[in-house]
Amino acid sequence: MKEKLYKKELFTTVLFIVILLIFGHSAQFFKLFPSAQGGSMWGFPIHYIIPILLGWFGLLVLTIIMAKVLNKLDDEMEQYIESIESGEGSQKNV
Amino acid sequence: METTQFVLPNVWMGVGVVIALFAIFYYVGWVAAKKTTSEEDLYAAGFSIGPVTNGLGMGATWASLATFMGVIALIYKLQVPFVYLWIQWALSIPLLTLLYGTCLRRMKAFTPASFIKVRYGNQAAMVIIAWMCLSMIMYALGQMIGLGLAFEVLFGLPYKYALIIVGIATVGFITLGGMYGASYNAAFQMLVMTIALVVPMGAVMKAMGSSGWWFPPLAYGDMVPQMLEQIPTFFDMKYDYRWYFALIPAFTMGPIALPHLAMRVFTSSSVKNARWSVVWFILFLGLLFSGCYTAGFAGNYFTATTGNEIAKPDQTILILNVFYNPTLVAAFVIGGAVAAGMSTIGGNLMAIAGLIGSDLLGILAPKMEGRKKLRWGYLALGIGGIITILLAFNPPAFLVTSILWAFGLLATTTTPSILLGVWWKQANRMAMIITSVVCGLIYIIISPHVLSGIVVGKGLVAALGMSEAMLTVPLSFASFIVLSLIFNKMQIAAPSMEDKQMIDRIHGWGSDYDEKRYNGTIMPLIIVAVCVIIFIWGLQPW
Repeated sequence: MKEKLYKKELFTTVLFIVILLIFGHSAQFFKLFPSAQGGSMWGFPIHYIIPILLGWFGLLVLTIIMAKVLNKLDDEMEQYIESIESGEGSQKNV
Repeated sequence: METTQFVLPNVWMGVGVVIALFAIFYYVGWVAAKKTTSEEDLYAAGFSIGPVTNGLGMGATWASLATFMGVIALIYKLQVPFVYLWIQWALSIPLLTLLYGTCLRRMKAFTPASFIKVRYGNQAAMVIIAWMCLSMIMYALGQMIGLGLAFEVLFGLPYKYALIIVGIATVGFITLGGMYGASYNAAFQMLVMTIALVVPMGAVMKAMGSSGWWFPPLAYGDMVPQMLEQIPTFFDMKYDYRWYFALIPAFTMGPIALPHLAMRVFTSSSVKNARWSVVWFILFLGLLFSGCYTAGFAGNYFTATTGNEIAKPDQTILILNVFYNPTLVAAFVIGGAVAAGMSTIGGNLMAIAGLIGSDLLGILAPKMEGRKKLRWGYLALGIGGIITILLAFNPPAFLVTSILWAFGLLATTTTPSILLGVWWKQANRMAMIITSVVCGLIYIIISPHVLSGIVVGKGLVAALGMSEAMLTVPLSFASFIVLSLIFNKMQIAAPSMEDKQMIDRIHGWGSDYDEKRYNGTIMPLIIVAVCVIIFIWGLQPW
């Protein structure tokens, strides 16, 4: 259980770092692949509006997911710690 | 082409708006002062701020006069690449919270230096306190000078008198209210600055003929064709790919260690609420930032279509409002700029007070009683403010040349110490001190601000610290890891069992200690390899 929780903590942290960086620096994609700069959206060049949208609404959705996933992970860790402590307590009682 | 300067038609309207705002700030400070009875209240608002208020406060603390005026000027001058530079600032608090904010909130730290003290000891904490205080003074100084200049324009007073008035008035309400006052005032200031930036832009856009005036942040697409006719290069992705990549070490890694942002996370009423605060932060900051990009776009559009060149690009937002909106609206926009500057100074001074009054005093006089410490905290807050005002009279050039440059300095000296300290049990005290001092000095030496003969990179890239950070940030991470492994092997300043147990505890494991957790060597060595590649890339001529 604790090994699983530990790996989950590391995995979610690395995953969220990577996605945060991608959303906050999405302009790099258009620099790396200039052919992607062609289109337009809502009247703006796509390489202008997409980084703005990802830097606002993309991050907004991501931080909501982060809050839910990481708060749930906290709950699982708390449950695990409580189960250990109650186990230790019952052993002492025995 | 004519040049346009900012002149408010009715000065007294501007004065009235500013006085009304100060009355509110002081009232909030006065109410907050009654709630402040302990160090926890003074530095962390009793760890009691809810997610919405904290999200607004985070946004206000982060968004400064630079957001309200500076970035608009940079977009006016340098166009779209600076929009990209600004977008990534939004990563600061999400990354900070994810990487260490919640961990340090669990240990009820007042500042990141409180953690450094516990993790690496007093000497290491003093090194980090010095770097953080330098960056906070640079930051607060920039805001104070900006506010002085704003009041000079508004009241028509000489700069020095304007500075004394605005400086003392600002430091007064911040010192009065402590972190409670700073938090609630910052939330209010965020509302003021967002409304002042976004709503009047709708009227400006309508006057410019845009059908998207109903939502200024994202609906000005119909102005693009005319803009491209006048300025065909506006949306060009200038600079090579390395410029865009360098934003990460220089400007994403640095703000992670900004103490005034971290302290916002620490004031949260719980670890879980800290994460929800981040959601509100992104919502509000996204609205404000997108409004900025609109103002930058509209400034360029204004010049291109009316033939009026804006003499001082810092004043773009004010000029647009004077030109297109009634005087009262323009006066309210000045109020927004004032709020933007004050919220950031509030955060900066709270950080200086926490670093000096709590962290440094905790080292120099660890047995001082609580009430006395509280008095010293207030004193540190007031003195920090007075020093900032005094420096702003005749600021040393290197301190105001670039606030952005200081982010690279923090990314080099402080970010590795915090992140490796939280996530790696083998992070070694001696390695931290050596890396922070040596890499910090290298960053300063190779920048153009101190020794102009020894510079890596040139022009704006060097002035902003981007070319320097491409070298010193990876160097700092890599040398910290390698030195830690060497020193631990030699049994020099190796982390104690207490240090290691603390790492498990702040991650939420309570008393369940496991030696293997956060103790690997493969991942740190992979980081070293990546850092070496970035370092070599950074060495190539800019």
